Amino acid sequence: MKSSVLKGLGGVFFFLLAWESFIFFNIVHFEYLPPPTKICKAWISLVQQQKYWLEIGHTLFASLLGWMIASIVGILLGTTLAISKRFRQFSLTTIEVLRPLPGVAFAPVGLLLFGFSLNMELTVICLPTLWPILMNSMVGILNLSKKLEEVASVLKLTPTESIRKIYFPAAASSVLVGLRISLSLAVVMAVVAEMIGNPEGLGYAIVREQQAMNPNDMFAYIFTVGCVGVCINYVLSQLAIFILPGQFLRKDISQSI
Amino acid sequence: MKKISNFFSTFIGLAPLFLILVLWESFSNKPSPHFPAPSYWLQSIQQIFLNGILINSIWNTIWTFLIGLLIAASSGFILGILIGINSSIKEWTAFILEAFRSLPPPVIIPIAVLLMGYSPSMKIAVISIATLWPILLNVIAGVSQISLGVIDASKSLKLSRKDMLLKIVFPSVLPFYILGIRVAIPLAIVITLLIEMLTGMIGLGGIMIAGQRNYNSAQVFGVLVIVGLLGLGINLFSQLIERQLLKNWPPKKSL
Repeated sequence: MKSSVLKGLGGVFFFLLAWESFIFFNIVHFEYLPPPTKICKAWISLVQQQKYWLEIGHTLFASLLGWMIASIVGILLGTTLAISKRFRQFSLTTIEVLRPLPGVAFAPVGLLLFGFSLNMELTVICLPTLWPILMNSMVGILNLSKKLEEVASVLKLTPTESIRKIYFPAAASSVLVGLRISLSLAVVMAVVAEMIGNPEGLGYAIVREQQAMNPNDMFAYIFTVGCVGVCINYVLSQLAIFILPGQFLRKDISQSI
Repeated sequence: MKKISNFFSTFIGLAPLFLILVLWESFSNKPSPHFPAPSYWLQSIQQIFLNGILINSIWNTIWTFLIGLLIAASSGFILGILIGINSSIKEWTAFILEAFRSLPPPVIIPIAVLLMGYSPSMKIAVISIATLWPILLNVIAGVSQISLGVIDASKSLKLSRKDMLLKIVFPSVLPFYILGIRVAIPLAIVITLLIEMLTGMIGLGGIMIAGQRNYNSAQVFGVLVIVGLLGLGINLFSQLIERQLLKNWPPKKSL
């Protein structure tokens, strides 16, 4: 176990070393590919600036806000779809048609409607993050086995009690998986929206440094985006374990947009 | 009979979409800069169709998407098998792969623009790098889940290394490989559109962002519909292929 961690870290070290030495000895020549040491230096100087933290804050705020809107709408719609068969009949195909619409395609629409603003960013974040939550809450409730209903009736639970004690915990793991997929998606979509439209936050910073031909800072910002994504995912998975202790959360390889 | 009812239920399911479009058509103040009526979408699509821009863009988008995905699918498979069957390579690269995976795919675009400039090869490179990770990681996971019993069986049958790859590794990795590609397909569409939007290069994303810049909102909505249809088509097509490939999966247990 421990040796595999060491080897993994060693692999990263050798990768960085190879990168550094390739540039140092001029083996590969790209005009705008900085060595890791320079990126690290740029990052350290960025960390000391207030601007950097504000940019992180903006991206986090936008993605969390968009994610929250999407989760409220998604869970409500998903639950209604699962409960009412008629509603499902009348709208499932529409959802299937709208779902493969790529999220970025809404960026120009958002720009048209709201201009370069937070609203545009929220449009781009909310629409694609809605689907995983909606589908997972719908499927989670639909897949509850008949036996659970029988358990509820045997125990003579009142409707509110049976929702609280039986249905909610049974469907929660599926909903949480949807929430988790959506959150990592929300961060990505926030960065995308900032790259195309809203001139604030980390995505804009990356594009700005790219257009300023300032690759050191650009790579530092990209590194930051990766870190933000990892941190936010970690926090949410810890929260999920806290809310649903003992539930096995599927490790999702799928990070589709 | 079942087919007819199936068709009917699909049709009923589309009702809200039709309703929204009809309401939109009847209540919008026709060529509004924000919410143009659907009939204007058709007009603007017809316009770019007639001067040939539309077909050109669709071809461009589909081609770059397909080539990028093909490169990612083939290199992801080969690399995944190589890394998967060799445990020391797997241990050494585990953290690097994990780090690259956690990087949001869209941030590859500015790097590629700086390093390679605005060129079609940049587009293909970005698509294939971005979609490589889901395929690669799924193939690695697929190799590592092959049960020891199967490997022992291959040893007792004294299969050669080539036979072992062809008869044991490839078939058991196949479902994971297909899962990886299924994740990669929507990602590839998104990345293709995003590159075109960011660089303004020819393609569906390019004409969308051009429409937005000229405040030609009808064109934006029209292209949005085309993008949606394209996504839907690719989705259905890939499902069809997947079903064909996995027809005999899981293998029938005849004991």
